[in-house]
Amino acid sequence: MSEKKDSEDRPPILGSWKKLYLFVVAQLVVLIILFYLFTKYFS
Amino acid sequence: MSTIDWIILFTTLISIVAYGVWKTRGTNSMDSYLRGDSTKWWTIGLSIMATQASAITFLSTPGQAYTDGMRFIQFYFGLPIAMIIISVFFLPMYYKLKVYTAYEFLENRFDLKTRLLAAFIFLVQRGLAAGITIYAPAIILSTLLGWRLGYTTTVIGLLVIIYTVSGGTKAVTQTQKQQMAVMMGGMILAGILVITSLPTNVSFFNAMHIAGKMGKLNVVNFEFDLSDRYNFWSGMTGAVFLFMSYFGTDQSQVQRYLSGKSLTESRLGLMMNGLLKVPMQFIILFVGVMVFVFYQYNQPPIFFNEPIRQEMTNSEGAEAFQKLQQNYDQVFQEKKLAINGLNQSVIDGNESSIIESSNLVNDLQLKSDAVRNEAKELIGKTLPGAETNDKDYIFMNFVMNNLPIGVVGLLFAVIFSAAMSSTSSELNALGSTTTIDFYKRNINKTAVDKHYLHSSKLFTLLWGIIAILFASYLSLFENLIQAVNLIGSLFYPTVLGIFVVAFFFKQIGSNAVFYAALLSQAVIILIHYLNTLEKAGIFTMGFLWYNALGCILVVLFGFILQPMIGKKARNTP
Repeated sequence: MSEKKDSEDRPPILGSWKKLYLFVVAQLVVLIILFYLFTKYFS
Repeated sequence: MSTIDWIILFTTLISIVAYGVWKTRGTNSMDSYLRGDSTKWWTIGLSIMATQASAITFLSTPGQAYTDGMRFIQFYFGLPIAMIIISVFFLPMYYKLKVYTAYEFLENRFDLKTRLLAAFIFLVQRGLAAGITIYAPAIILSTLLGWRLGYTTTVIGLLVIIYTVSGGTKAVTQTQKQQMAVMMGGMILAGILVITSLPTNVSFFNAMHIAGKMGKLNVVNFEFDLSDRYNFWSGMTGAVFLFMSYFGTDQSQVQRYLSGKSLTESRLGLMMNGLLKVPMQFIILFVGVMVFVFYQYNQPPIFFNEPIRQEMTNSEGAEAFQKLQQNYDQVFQEKKLAINGLNQSVIDGNESSIIESSNLVNDLQLKSDAVRNEAKELIGKTLPGAETNDKDYIFMNFVMNNLPIGVVGLLFAVIFSAAMSSTSSELNALGSTTTIDFYKRNINKTAVDKHYLHSSKLFTLLWGIIAILFASYLSLFENLIQAVNLIGSLFYPTVLGIFVVAFFFKQIGSNAVFYAALLSQAVIILIHYLNTLEKAGIFTMGFLWYNALGCILVVLFGFILQPMIGKKARNTP
């Protein structure tokens, strides 16, 4: 485990952790919407 | 099982163990033994997922979908949120302090007694839980394979001990990659095979329509109901606390992401879990739903635990059981005709006919469930002590009786791999916590690195032996399982509360948080006691909510006690 400064700690995609967290939340929201539509469509 | 299945099962398991030992040969320092060796983010992500996915996940979840539909998935909606909170607040602090265990951080923020309290709760709860992680699948696997329980627990326990003691954290994370591949590969293959086993006139799309019309594709429910364990709201509130507690403060998970090459790799591993866990649970539940559709066209057994069913045919309740069986078969034939009608209505796209056929199918399903419940009651009366809940046997019963040779062995390897992956993380974390938080901190502070390396191996071995012994004799103390699960539910909220104070409320010091934790613990135990007596009034709640309440109480009591008994809070580094 090597110690790194915050400035070096960037995700390899999307440029910043904030954007990556937003991406994770967005994926969750999209999944929940899809699940809702899935539930409604087949019920 | 056929010879080919046995060969596939044992080759898979032995290869994983051999790979773990070979890959970690020459581990010669405490640091590499306890922290792993610069693990990459995707290995961390797989390791976190494999640790959480126990054998019971793969045995119970498809059965859960078969009986209750897919709504269980909502429980996991809070997981990505918990991953983000841990990544933002918990992880940087663990890295900054270069800790081996989560509890080391508590001494730095508060004092030794708070660290030892949290570490002690972890050892008791996880030490007992490790026995259950082996025992719970072993009892089902023993029934299915016809093995003695002692053999199954020993096989699982010994295989895990070999590579976990030998290679430590690196062995655990490396083997979990193979185990995850076996687990998900096996489940996806089973899903494909069950779909292709449906009648030719039932397309995949129609199969989903049948499942949906029978209430099995109930993935999301936005209705707010505190008494309903699985809905959107409980997933987004109570479950967030539960997952923060499990992933953020339980050393069996913390150790997985602290093995990262850097803070970035650890964070990415957590995000990988946040992105993939919900889809993974969806796949497992969906396989269970497809097994349900399969059994709409193929006669299912009235009771999925085959040895108990056999025992019933030779018991004094045999005649009544036989009658129920005939009744069940008859309802099945009627239902099958109705399902064919529903399928045709879906193909024709006739809405009124779909509604009419769905109602008929659902009425017959209720009738079928009622007969099955009668059979379960009869089993309970005829064979006192027999387990009447057969949910955990549904999936493997389907596998053994309907999947081709070779795949059966692979699916058993899935269950054994899942048992091994979670047990190895538990033993690894128990060994680390015993070494770092108790032995090195309190008993022998000045020994050389090699001494601590050997101590860690010895403690891991001891916890492994305790887990096997506990699992082997657990059947004699059935109530213990509930007791251990209860300990987790009752004590983890307080541990989470201590960590939440540590990270977010810097004005609260060591004495205040310690006594706030004890006070909060007493309140949670009291509320639980009143709940069991059904006298909790406005505090009537399920286990899931204890996590939120216990955590909030620690913070609240901390604020109240700080002006009275509080030492000045330490500055976090």
